[in-house]
Amino acid sequence: MAGLSALTLVEAGEGAGQVGARLVMLALVALVAALVLGWSVLLPASLLLVGAAYALHLYVDEGFDVKAPLFAAGLLLAAELGYWSLEEREHVRSEPGEGLRRLAFVAGLTLAGLVVGTVLLAAADLARAGGLAVDLVGAGAAAAALLLVVLYARRQSG
Amino acid sequence: MTRAASPRLEGYAIVVATGLLAALALRRPELAIVAAPFALVLAIGMRPAAAPRVDALFALEAERVVEGEEIGATVAIRTETAVDRLELLLVLPREVEVIGGEDAFALRLQAGDERRIAFKLRCRRWGIHNLGEIELRIRDPLRVVVWERTIAGEHRLNAYPTTESLERILPPRETQVFTGSEVARTKGDGIEYADIREYVPGDRLRAINWRASARRNVLVVNERHPERNTDVVLFVDSFADVRRAGRSTLDDAVRATATLAARYLERRDRVGLVTFGGVLRWLHPGMGPTQRFRLVETLLETGVEPTYTWRDVSIIPARILPPKALVLGVTPLVDPRFVTTLADLRARGFDLAVVEVDPVRFVDPGTTELERLAYRLWLLEREVLAARLAQLGIAVARWDDAVDLQTALEGVRTYRRRARLARV
Repeated sequence: MAGLSALTLVEAGEGAGQVGARLVMLALVALVAALVLGWSVLLPASLLLVGAAYALHLYVDEGFDVKAPLFAAGLLLAAELGYWSLEEREHVRSEPGEGLRRLAFVAGLTLAGLVVGTVLLAAADLARAGGLAVDLVGAGAAAAALLLVVLYARRQSG
Repeated sequence: MTRAASPRLEGYAIVVATGLLAALALRRPELAIVAAPFALVLAIGMRPAAAPRVDALFALEAERVVEGEEIGATVAIRTETAVDRLELLLVLPREVEVIGGEDAFALRLQAGDERRIAFKLRCRRWGIHNLGEIELRIRDPLRVVVWERTIAGEHRLNAYPTTESLERILPPRETQVFTGSEVARTKGDGIEYADIREYVPGDRLRAINWRASARRNVLVVNERHPERNTDVVLFVDSFADVRRAGRSTLDDAVRATATLAARYLERRDRVGLVTFGGVLRWLHPGMGPTQRFRLVETLLETGVEPTYTWRDVSIIPARILPPKALVLGVTPLVDPRFVTTLADLRARGFDLAVVEVDPVRFVDPGTTELERLAYRLWLLEREVLAARLAQLGIAVARWDDAVDLQTALEGVRTYRRRARLARV
C-alpha cells in the first residue's frame, strides 16, 4: 500500500499532492482498521481511496500513464494480502506448506494481473488515435462488464 | 451444499464498478486498466461450477465417560471432487472442549481422497452432551465463492459426575428387614454383640454364653444385632442454581448425590432418588449395580427449570418415600419451597438430614453500599434458617470449599448421635 502511495504522490504537484496524501492516509487508516478489527467492508474502502489518489494523479497529469499496469498489479496484491489476513483471523489450522503455497499463488495472480494490465495498456495506446468509434466500443464494453456484475449480484441475493 | 459469495467478491465488484465508472467519467483508460485484473478474478471465480461432493462422518470412542476424563473422537472425510481448501469446524457444546485447543482444520484434497482427523475431547461438566455437528466450508482457489454445509450431530455422550471417596456415611435410625451392612438396633442373628438373656427352649446351643451361665447358675444366651439393609432416599434440590466462574451449586449437589448413592449401594442398601424442582423426577428405591446406573442416568437429566408454582411433598408419590427411610436432602437452601418441603418431611416423621451445598462462596458481596447491605441481610437470613432447621431437629451438614464432604457428614453424625442420646 505504501508503494502504491509513493507511485501516486511522487509526481503530483503541491495542491494535488496534499489532497493525495490525505487520501492515502485515510486509505492506510482504513486498511489498519480492517485488519485489526476484522471489518472486511473497510478493505475495499481502502483500495478505493488509494484508487482515488491515483485518479487525482491522472487528472493532474494529462499524459498517458504507462505505470497503470504496475499500479493495477500492486492494488491486486494489496487486496489479496488484505483478504488473506482477514481469513487468517479465523484460527483454522492449515496443513504444513499451505502458507507458502498460497503465497506462490498470490504472486502468480499478481503477475497475471500485470500481464493483463500491460496487454490492455498496449490496446489502449493503439485505441487512443481511434476516435469516436473506439470510444463507443470502450464505453459499451465497460457497460457490459457492469451489467454482468449487477446481474450476478442480483442472482446471488435472489 | 449452499453457495455463498465471499467478502472478496463484494469488495472486488465494488472496485471494478468504481474503476470502470471513473474511467468513463474522467475519460482515462488507465483506471479501467487498474480495474481489469479484479474483473478477471471475478470472471474466473464466478463461473458456473458444480457443488463439491464432500462428506464427513463423526465417530466417538465411547458413549459414556466420567467428567474430566479424555475421550477420543474422529472425523472421517471423503471427497469425490478436488478441493483447494476445506475448512472443518467441530461444533461442540460449551461443556466439552478439544484438548490442545484446536477444533478447526483446513485441508487440501484431491478427487477421491479420504482422510481421518483424530481429536481428544474432555467433558468439563457432567450431563448429556450432543456431539457430532460439523461445519464444512469449501473455498475455490481464487477465494471468490464459498460452499458451506452443516452436518447435524447425532451422537450422545453421557458424562457422569465424579465421586469423592467417603469412608463413613450417615446411618439411618431404622433398618429394613433384608440383610445388609447396617447394624440394626433390634436383636437377632448377627455378629455384633447386643445383650444376654435367659435360655428358652428353641434357642441354639451355640448361642449359650457358658461363662455367664456359670456365673449365674442358669443358662443364658447371647443376643446379637443383625445386619440389615436400609432405605435411603436422596432428595435433590433443583429449584435454584447459584453459579460463578464455571462452578455452581447444582453441579456440586449432583456430584455429592452420586457419591452418596454409590456409597450406600455398595452396602447393599436400597437407594431412591427425587429431584425436586421445576420438574419432578423420581426413582423408586432399589439396590445393586443396575440401580446405580439408573440413578446416575436420572441425575444427568437434572437441571434447573424455572417455575413459579408452589410445590410441596403431596405431589411426590408415597411409594417413593418408604417409611423408616433416611431422607438425605442435598440443597443450597436458597429456594423457600424446598426448605418448606424439608420441614414438612420432618413433621411427617421422616428421618431427615441435609447436606447444604454452600452458595455463599458463589455470591459476590457487591461493590455499592446497598449491595453489601443486601448481602449481609441475606447472610443473616441464612443463619436464621439454620437455627430454624436445628430447632426442628434437622441435622444440616454445610459443605463448602474449606470442608470436604466426609468432614461435613461427620458433623451431622455427631448431631444425630447427641439428639438420639438426648431423646433416650
